[in-house]
Amino acid sequence: MDWQAFALTLRLASITTIVLLAIAVPLAALLVLGRARWLAAVEALATLPLVLPPTVLGFFLLVLLGPRTAAGRAIAALFGHPLAFSFDGLVVGSVIYSLPFAVQPLVAGFAAVPASLVDAARLLGAGPSRVVRTLLVPLARRSLITAAVLSFLHTVGEFGVVLMLGGDIPGATRTLSIVLYNQVENFDYGAAGRTAAILMGLSVLALIAIYSKGLEHGGARGGSRA
Amino acid sequence: MEAGLALMRRRLLPALFALVLPAPVCAQAALRVAAAADLEPVLPPILAQFEEQTRIHAAATYQASAMLTTQIENGAPFDLFLSADLSFPGRLIAAGMADTAEPAPIPYANGTLVLWERKDSHLPFPSLALLSDPNLKLLAIANPERAPYGRAAVAALTKLRLYDSLKPRLVTAENIAQAAQFVDSGNADAGLISLTSALTPKLTASGNYFVIPRDLYPPIEQGAVIVKSTKRRAAAQKLLDFLLSAPVQAELAKSGLTPVK
Repeated sequence: MDWQAFALTLRLASITTIVLLAIAVPLAALLVLGRARWLAAVEALATLPLVLPPTVLGFFLLVLLGPRTAAGRAIAALFGHPLAFSFDGLVVGSVIYSLPFAVQPLVAGFAAVPASLVDAARLLGAGPSRVVRTLLVPLARRSLITAAVLSFLHTVGEFGVVLMLGGDIPGATRTLSIVLYNQVENFDYGAAGRTAAILMGLSVLALIAIYSKGLEHGGARGGSRA
Repeated sequence: MEAGLALMRRRLLPALFALVLPAPVCAQAALRVAAAADLEPVLPPILAQFEEQTRIHAAATYQASAMLTTQIENGAPFDLFLSADLSFPGRLIAAGMADTAEPAPIPYANGTLVLWERKDSHLPFPSLALLSDPNLKLLAIANPERAPYGRAAVAALTKLRLYDSLKPRLVTAENIAQAAQFVDSGNADAGLISLTSALTPKLTASGNYFVIPRDLYPPIEQGAVIVKSTKRRAAAQKLLDFLLSAPVQAELAKSGLTPVK
């Protein structure tokens, strides 16, 4: 078992989840509370990675944000190195790739909070950030958990982006799904089986955790009721 | 939403089926060639000539040799396997998955390893000295466990006593074509790639190469086998013979492979 890759994968998924929640909570609140027409375009963009082939994303990050473009050089200056072949690059790729898995449950959860409550809070003088902090987030707690777990698992299971962008560097970009791929390609089916079992076990446990939590609350599975 | 679904059922689905279904029925299926990634720049014109002469259409899939071997072992419908070494096709022969009475694969060419960098690189012109240049931050190689060119790259670096110092700066590509892509896209400073890639019009325009001396790595002998499960043995044999014919061998020499004949 490649424990270095295991730790790296958990670190990548944790950091990605934290960054994603920081982006997705305000974004989902904006999508639910906002009334502007262009928000539909924003929601479409935020959902795009769900249907986008990971190879498209890998290509964008590798070439369009590579060291040969102005945008790429700006990013390289910001991070101190190009995105490709680095842990930071994988975080950027994973945040984009898992964005819909964080935004979608939150939009559903926030939208299920009765509009009358939001209006009442506003009438009492609460600004948008206070509405989100004291009303939407506590009431949509389960959606927040769902968003976090799905983002985490989706990042653990990410493969195509890492394969195109990673360069398979132990301790930096060699994640568990890459290890599994290497083991299969090197004909080491026994080790591949063990790695696959860990990836599978992780996903099953987390999903059971989400759904059993739902049953405790009277079988509400929609993720919207708190 | 409902209307959309109804439209989907009535119009779009039949249209989709119409698009998808006739494909397997029409024409004769192509001869399927599993080809090492270094052949990607070389093989297409050869396959076109082959089709012109024999009316047999052949389609190639390019990947690292080990990957193709795994796929064939697990039943991928290939007819002919052109590896970048002798060990992977040898593995298929040992497993009884090759259609041959010979104990070894048939060599069809030898590969050449080169050090390649972009012309706009800030580093000196490619040479062995470049490999020990401290400003060389990222060197791309193919995966040494599954790509014969990657294996040759590691052998050469080891022989130069540079492997240990370069190891933290190596980026490993899936196959030799991706190693070239890593360098051409500017993400890696230089790469140990195949001469076949370096000689393509695109890479000739964008970069310079240095041929790694042959005594630094074991020869990259490339061998072929016909896959046991093929239903088109005669056609596969014809393509293999074509590849070994004098004019095609001469053509290989021009594209960066050393002929065996």
